[in-house]
Amino acid sequence: MATPKIKNMAERKYEKVYTSNPVADADPETKERIAQLENYIMKHCLWQFNSRGWDRRKQNAGILGKTTQLLCDEPVDISTPLEKCYWVDAVCLDRAYRELFPWIKTMTKDDIKALMKLLHARMDWLTIDGSLNLELTVVNY
Amino acid sequence: MPYHEFEVSKVIPERKQHAVIKGEGEDLTSCLPAGYLNTIPGSISERGCAYCGAKHVIGTPMKDVIHISHGPVGCTYDTWQTKRYISDNDNFQLKYTFATDVKEKHIVFGAEKLLKQNIIEAFKAFPETKRMTIYQTCATALIGDDINAIAEEVMEELPGTDIFVCNSPGFAGPSQSGGHHKINIAWINQKVGTLEPTITSDYVINYVGEYNIQGDQEVMTDYFKRMGIQVLSTFTGNGSYDDLRTMHRAHLNVLECARSAEYICDELRERYGIPRLDIDGFGFKALSDSLRKIGLFFGIEERAEAIIAEETARWLPELEWYKARLKGKKVCLWPGGSKLWHWAHAIQEEMGVKVVSVYTKFGHQGDMEKGVSRCGEGALAIDDPNELEGLEALDMLKPDVIFTGKRPGEMAKKVNVPYLNAHAYHNGPYKGFEGWVRFARDIYNAIYSPIHKLSLVDISKDEIPTDQGFLTRRMLSDRNLPAEITGSSELREYSGKYDSVSALREKTYPEFPRAEAGAVEVVAE
Repeated sequence: MATPKIKNMAERKYEKVYTSNPVADADPETKERIAQLENYIMKHCLWQFNSRGWDRRKQNAGILGKTTQLLCDEPVDISTPLEKCYWVDAVCLDRAYRELFPWIKTMTKDDIKALMKLLHARMDWLTIDGSLNLELTVVNY
Repeated sequence: MPYHEFEVSKVIPERKQHAVIKGEGEDLTSCLPAGYLNTIPGSISERGCAYCGAKHVIGTPMKDVIHISHGPVGCTYDTWQTKRYISDNDNFQLKYTFATDVKEKHIVFGAEKLLKQNIIEAFKAFPETKRMTIYQTCATALIGDDINAIAEEVMEELPGTDIFVCNSPGFAGPSQSGGHHKINIAWINQKVGTLEPTITSDYVINYVGEYNIQGDQEVMTDYFKRMGIQVLSTFTGNGSYDDLRTMHRAHLNVLECARSAEYICDELRERYGIPRLDIDGFGFKALSDSLRKIGLFFGIEERAEAIIAEETARWLPELEWYKARLKGKKVCLWPGGSKLWHWAHAIQEEMGVKVVSVYTKFGHQGDMEKGVSRCGEGALAIDDPNELEGLEALDMLKPDVIFTGKRPGEMAKKVNVPYLNAHAYHNGPYKGFEGWVRFARDIYNAIYSPIHKLSLVDISKDEIPTDQGFLTRRMLSDRNLPAEITGSSELREYSGKYDSVSALREKTYPEFPRAEAGAVEVVAE
């Protein structure tokens, strides 16, 4: 059987989104909080390290997006197996964040969303746009 | 970039980019060694070849298959007695090794006839086994033997047989990792989707990147079966050839070793829409989270929680016994690929040791990203090290124990550093709750073995004290421990059996009623 033609080639030849650390100008408290959330992901999770940059972009958006919704008690789309797979990692992250970082429960939904947006940007910077990994842009698996 | 230059490698300046020391405030945008590049001439690497990665790592753990190397008999070196991927069919794939025994005359005149003769002989010798894999080697790739054509001929002549051809000669990549890649892609291109399975559960997974080292796969499969999950196939430890042809029918790919098998997971997601869920069978927390995630995916989280509670209650007091005695011990975590990130954080958190260095023989930069992230500041990360660099690092870091392969492990022993086999294990399995305690037990036994005291004595010149008795492990490990630890009635040493795997093969499992055909309900948070 021949290898099927790649349908999402444009996505695989992605452009960088960030050119510098997006948390660099944040206030000290926000930086500290982002560092705690980031450290948990880096020590305990694997989803952020798929081998290609375009996959990492989807993983970060899918899981951190759903984690934000869970932290804000909003409904989450689990209508497809792929969405459901993001959701299970998000559930684990939501539970860990609530348990380990009780300050997150004292924040308003808007503040949680702003913080998680910055965390998402930071993760994209660390794992994709600022990454030194030269294999991220290889277009094949 | 916080590169580290080894004194012994100053004559190979390119090596400098392959080692970093994680400094204060460093992250992945400033601290990552080069990786997955051709080994630099002059550096005596510890890597394997692409044929080795395809056959000896991924292909051969398939249990019900005649695995033939088409090449010189020497290419089969890493088979008998050197691999420990056992299977529940009396280790057929370990007991029998096949090679076409190509010699100089075949290089001149071609080896296709020889190959065909060998295939037919092997099928006749083992008439119950109808499945075969053939592995290309450097010699037969260079002379251009058409293995696929021969395989097709034989399949026509011997109806009922099925043959998989893996074109991954030794030179087909910088390391064994090139072979992992090739066999992943070859398998999905040639074999996935060529057979339809019988589905027996509402919850169906492929267990991918798991090689049943000393029974790891059987331990993990036990958990899955207790949850009512059908393991359609395992890629590839203790896995069946025909089961692996049906991978396209799973609901979820559960991926353990992303280094060696992410490619097939990613392709299964692209081609068949099956999601990839990365899990980790090492460590109480990581394993618990992994079972929980699979349970969540299928809406059966309570089944996972029941297993986690039972296993944790049984084994945690034993893990804690070892943790109290391993606290602060320095570890060089120098495996082949994925274990540098599977273990780096878990052994620090759950066994109390400190990882002072990680290295990888065949890992990519992605593996180092995970490893560097999971280590603390000051850790030395090395890509594709050579033996002299390893010795220099041991001298610099003075670790209490090293986890690595058997060849660098023997080198470590010579400089009086205890070593544990990170690839094939000492007394595994190491996966699962009990397995993690077995690992802690092996670390404890390695670090506190009295032999390391005795071996430091040079009887040709040192004075041998005659007023001291023999020191046991316990005397060494408990010397400075507080009484509440040494006298604890809750903590205890490992109490499992020598063989923790065979009994699993006789086990029966609860039957869970199925929902309507095709309906899998997932419960939202």
